[in-house]
Amino acid sequence: MADTKIGAYICKGCGIGERLDTAQLAMIAQKEGKAQVVREHEFLCNSQGVEMIKNDIANEGVNHVVIAACSRRSKAETFNFDNVAISRANLREGVIWITPADDDKKEIVQEMAADYVRMGCAESLKMQIPAGNPSHGNNKRILVVGGGVSGMTAAIEASKTGYDVLLVEKTGSLGGWAAKLHKRVPNTEPYANPMDTGVADLIKKIESDKHIKVHLNSTITKTSGAPGQFSADISTESGGTATENIGAIIMASGFTPYDMNKLPHLGAGKSKDVVDQLGLEALAKAANGGPIKRPSDGKIVSSVVFVQCAGQRSDKEGELPYCSGHCCNTSIKQAMYFKDQNKDIDTVVMYTDLRTPGNGEDFYRSAQKKGVIFTKGVASEVVPGSELQVKFQDKILNEDAIAKADLVVLATGQVANSGVDIEQVPQDEPGKWAANKQSVLNMVYRQGKDLPLLKHGFNDSHFICFPYETRRTGIYTAGPVRRPMDMVQAIEDATGAALKAIQAVENASLGRAAHPRSGDLSFPTFRREGCTQCKRCTVECPFGAIDEDEQRYPQFNESRCRRCGTCMGACPVRVISFENYSVDTVGSQIKGVDMPDQFSEKPRILVLACENDAYPALDMAAMNHIQYSAFTRVIPVRCLGSINTIWVTDALNSGYDGVILMGCQKGENYQCHFVKGSEIAHTRMSKIDDTLKQLSLEVERVKTYEVAITDIQRAPALINEMAETIQKIGMSPLKF
Amino acid sequence: MTDVVATNETILVVGGGISGMTAALEAAECGKDVVLLEKSPSLGGRVSQLYKYFPKLCHPTCGMEINLKRIKANKRIRVLTLAEVSAITGKPGDYTATIRISPRYVNEHCTACGACAEAVAAEFDNEFNYGMGKRKGAYLSSAMAYPQRYVIDPRILGTPDAEKAKSACKYNAVDLGMKEETVNLKVGAVVWATGWKPYDANKIQPYGYDRYKNVITSVEFERLMDPFGPTGGKLVRPSDGKEAKNVAFIQCAGSRDRNHLKHCSRICCMASLKQSTYVREKYADDANVSIYYIDIRAIDRFEDFYKRIQADPKVKFIKSKVANITEDKATGNPILHGVDTEGYHRYDNPHDLVVLAIGMEPSVDASRIMPGVKADASGFIDINATTEAVFGAGCASNALDVNRSVQNATAAALRAIQVVNRVSRAEA
Amino acid sequence: MTDLNKVMVEKYRNDFLKEVEANVEEGNWVKMCMQCGVCSGSCPLGPHWEHPPQEIFMMIRAGKRDEVLRSESMWMCTSCYNCIVRCPRELPITHIMHGLANYAHRLGIAPKLNPTRRFAKMFWNNITAGGRVNELKLSVGLYFMDGFASGIKKGLEMLPVGLGMLKTGRLNPFGLFSGGHCKGAGDIRKMIKKAKEIEDKRKGFAA
Repeated sequence: MADTKIGAYICKGCGIGERLDTAQLAMIAQKEGKAQVVREHEFLCNSQGVEMIKNDIANEGVNHVVIAACSRRSKAETFNFDNVAISRANLREGVIWITPADDDKKEIVQEMAADYVRMGCAESLKMQIPAGNPSHGNNKRILVVGGGVSGMTAAIEASKTGYDVLLVEKTGSLGGWAAKLHKRVPNTEPYANPMDTGVADLIKKIESDKHIKVHLNSTITKTSGAPGQFSADISTESGGTATENIGAIIMASGFTPYDMNKLPHLGAGKSKDVVDQLGLEALAKAANGGPIKRPSDGKIVSSVVFVQCAGQRSDKEGELPYCSGHCCNTSIKQAMYFKDQNKDIDTVVMYTDLRTPGNGEDFYRSAQKKGVIFTKGVASEVVPGSELQVKFQDKILNEDAIAKADLVVLATGQVANSGVDIEQVPQDEPGKWAANKQSVLNMVYRQGKDLPLLKHGFNDSHFICFPYETRRTGIYTAGPVRRPMDMVQAIEDATGAALKAIQAVENASLGRAAHPRSGDLSFPTFRREGCTQCKRCTVECPFGAIDEDEQRYPQFNESRCRRCGTCMGACPVRVISFENYSVDTVGSQIKGVDMPDQFSEKPRILVLACENDAYPALDMAAMNHIQYSAFTRVIPVRCLGSINTIWVTDALNSGYDGVILMGCQKGENYQCHFVKGSEIAHTRMSKIDDTLKQLSLEVERVKTYEVAITDIQRAPALINEMAETIQKIGMSPLKF
Repeated sequence: MTDVVATNETILVVGGGISGMTAALEAAECGKDVVLLEKSPSLGGRVSQLYKYFPKLCHPTCGMEINLKRIKANKRIRVLTLAEVSAITGKPGDYTATIRISPRYVNEHCTACGACAEAVAAEFDNEFNYGMGKRKGAYLSSAMAYPQRYVIDPRILGTPDAEKAKSACKYNAVDLGMKEETVNLKVGAVVWATGWKPYDANKIQPYGYDRYKNVITSVEFERLMDPFGPTGGKLVRPSDGKEAKNVAFIQCAGSRDRNHLKHCSRICCMASLKQSTYVREKYADDANVSIYYIDIRAIDRFEDFYKRIQADPKVKFIKSKVANITEDKATGNPILHGVDTEGYHRYDNPHDLVVLAIGMEPSVDASRIMPGVKADASGFIDINATTEAVFGAGCASNALDVNRSVQNATAAALRAIQVVNRVSRAEA
Repeated sequence: MTDLNKVMVEKYRNDFLKEVEANVEEGNWVKMCMQCGVCSGSCPLGPHWEHPPQEIFMMIRAGKRDEVLRSESMWMCTSCYNCIVRCPRELPITHIMHGLANYAHRLGIAPKLNPTRRFAKMFWNNITAGGRVNELKLSVGLYFMDGFASGIKKGLEMLPVGLGMLKTGRLNPFGLFSGGHCKGAGDIRKMIKKAKEIEDKRKGFAA
């Protein structure tokens, strides 16, 4: 790589020129910042300004650019140059918009700006231009696990997009539970009648698609590698094992119906005429459009009661706390099986909240029109007998009542086939890995064999805006394994998952990161000789990207990495770094700040702010002209998890009077987009008190906060609070 | 003149809300060229006007920041704002989209310094706040607005304010001579993500939205929580600025109703459950919330959230479609009349503020998009009867929550990619 | 129990909903109710109903035949149509209420002393007798509905009004004696009789 040549560009626009002495800033960039090319510009983001920079890159050999202008969130597309390391010194939102224009403040405001220029140059000096992960794979085949509607859809859609697919199904046939349905809930106008499941068509499409290879009666006994270079061992029924290479994985392992035998009070297991929804599908399939007969004695059913939320939405031990979403529509559909065959059959749906969102409302109305009766009531007991008695509380008429029926259908829920709970199952030691029968993927990952669970055994994403964010890069879940869902949603979900899998293999083949730092070409490296094998990085990586090799050194699997830097923050010996983000790039900024002496009454407050939430909050505070202390120096970090405590220790040692860490919400409803970053940082910082005591500093000098992007007023207030605290307890004695 | 390079391997995404942004980003991050259209001056759509999401109670701005960062970093996405589709002609893999771009009167030189807004005196109803409160005639819709470029309201043209804005700008960014443009784009596939609009509450006469100041909609309620919104983040009622501590939520306001929207809008139950926490957040134990409902539709693990709210002694659930609202003239309190159907209890309940959990209807009736695109009876795109290369995403295709919209948009992006890949294979 | 009532109980066994659907005007709408309660809340006489419409619909589905048919509730309906215009399922609730009242009356199990029922009966007899309403007979009949003494009392109370109307020619005292029938009243009676026969046959009341 060519030598670093820094070009520093100082903008005078937006009032910067009026408020600040830019000539002095230019001098600092040159003398202290070691910038070889330094230019001031009236209006840097206009075409001449940008041309000027481009020209320096092309003709002056500038390869590191420091833009001292507005926030990095502003004009990001304008100041975007290929193959150049870019740093931003935030003089607008970071300085002039958050400080008063008073003359008596001029000096400290200028000092603030000067420090940001120093910091920008210091960062730039330590940065390298990221070149992309060199050890990437190029395999673009998609592995789909599960041959139900979700899996088949994902396979067909991926193939249709031009990608080869490998489909693994544990049973002897495709179709999953949907193949056992008589009919499905309608997905089109007029949403009035049950319709064909379409499963046969899907199977036909798979079978006739030469880009889809199917393994039936097969399970995955081993998954290893990374996006673009996964390898899977597939154990077939014959006992053989086929090893296949793939680029990404879609886990569509579906659900298991809740075991209704856990509901004896509702007659399950006590009477053959109490069935679950799948049991009713079997009866309807057997009847094939003729009268449905009940299991016990083959009598034609003349009355049926559907008990909704059976063992669901329940706080009882062993029952499901959640709602499975599809069951209201499913019972409506099944009641229609009866009504469409013979309108005189009594069909009662007993519900507490009827949940038919969207056009499901039409389906509900259609059922009513067909004479299905809906009763708001809670069933407490089903008494077996030749005529079943459903004891229930009628919520409308406010009384206990009994409904009699030939057949009772329990609308039980979906239980995810998500494999083993890696939080519960002990991890295998490196080199001692063994397949687990319960596992779906049997991953050879340091952090466990299956995907982490979100809630109630499902593998859903934690993020509302980003439903495909599983915590294992290149592996996406689809269908009811992710959350309870109906067929319409499963099809949409599987199609989306197919896109994400395709995106993963495309990104991997270019050596770049996946969401949320999509396109990032940096990747982690470590100095092997310095590593003490403490395992913190492998344990703390929120994405399970890091394994341990046989010598127990970390093995980074760069294509799995999401570039948050949590490993870098974790490393006690600081051997992990990214080309453009390292202990040094941040450390040098901290040290780059000009530290006034103890008697100057000019404290320094270091703010390490999450670049996604806290930093924008401060930016927006600036846009709203909310002020905070001019003694503040803010450094955006990829994630609070990437903060190495050495930064804090160094800052305190070099005389900072206060340090604030601003990360995202942690805990159950965490907001951190790197999952655990904020939480880990809080844990690490909880031990900082010892350090402070060693340095004979007050514990109030270091604070760690959860800050939301909407904390536009609070974030500056927290900084000002620190400034007041310092005023109270005095300056740090550690200024040399 | 707006120059946009597009080919029949380009995907056109119509609508810059979360669904459109997602479809555009997911396709672009697969290596496809995308043109993203938005009719308003900035991206973000309705979610950018929300305070929090259910059930996590996190802020939509957070995801917006990530998506904007993705857009800024991705050279494959071209964003056109103030742009609307006037026609699409052609066939799958070979469409011509005619786009009408309204003038912003501010060009790319804008640094968002805000000098123009300071110079302009005229104020207009703030559409970002659903008409509550005012904004300047030169404005940025919010601090998160992207593109971060001011807009001159056409209504100040020809007034001294326009000249003031122009002369306040040191960067020649204000261009009062800007004209409406029409551009034709060649595209291979279209993702239609024009989203939803709240049902017109005036049509629900018995609730008196048009007559009583203290009856507002759920989307308006969200704006009250914004520290930079019409009330400065205070939960106060419109008539007299009194603290709204006793708040009623009326479910199915427009939805599940043959007189209004026949479909269930899916999100409103969860939205009201979520908004009940806003009242609690502001007034703690002084808060009283009543939710009037027919069925609470808290599907899948949202049930957890429902249970959490049910356990709150300050939140009451009344199974009842409210019959009508009257107003206590002396106090300005809306009084809700109706019958709790669980056991027949008649009520006449006064509240400080009433929030209508307003229904969702598609912003654009799908039948008007182009020939071949079929709408269902509610105007949503019928997924089974669309053309081979125009795909609905998000609330243009169904009443969906954010999470499902994004899933749906991701699926739509793949369908569009399939078309352009087919084109590229054919041309290879 | 009257014969017709017995017949209907026999015919529909426990299925009161089916009975309502077959015999009550607009009864086939009852099943469409989703128990939102907007009708119950919208009724201006609501507080006087023992069972509001939505509850009646649920009672019908629950087979509470006697409770519904012997109820005073649906006789409260004044045909203001608030419920119909607000019902999200477009149920013709007003019509169903009248249908239920009428059906109960036909079965002979409607509450005997219900004033609405008695007035309706009086009105029916009055109008069908002459093809048009004889207002004087109807009012006087109404006054004396609860007996001679209270009739006199009510009559005296209304005397000033009556005299006023007499003075302005709004009241013809001879109406009390003369028929005031329209032309061809007999033919109207025949038509009504025939219509009733057809309806009874259709609804199976003719048994």
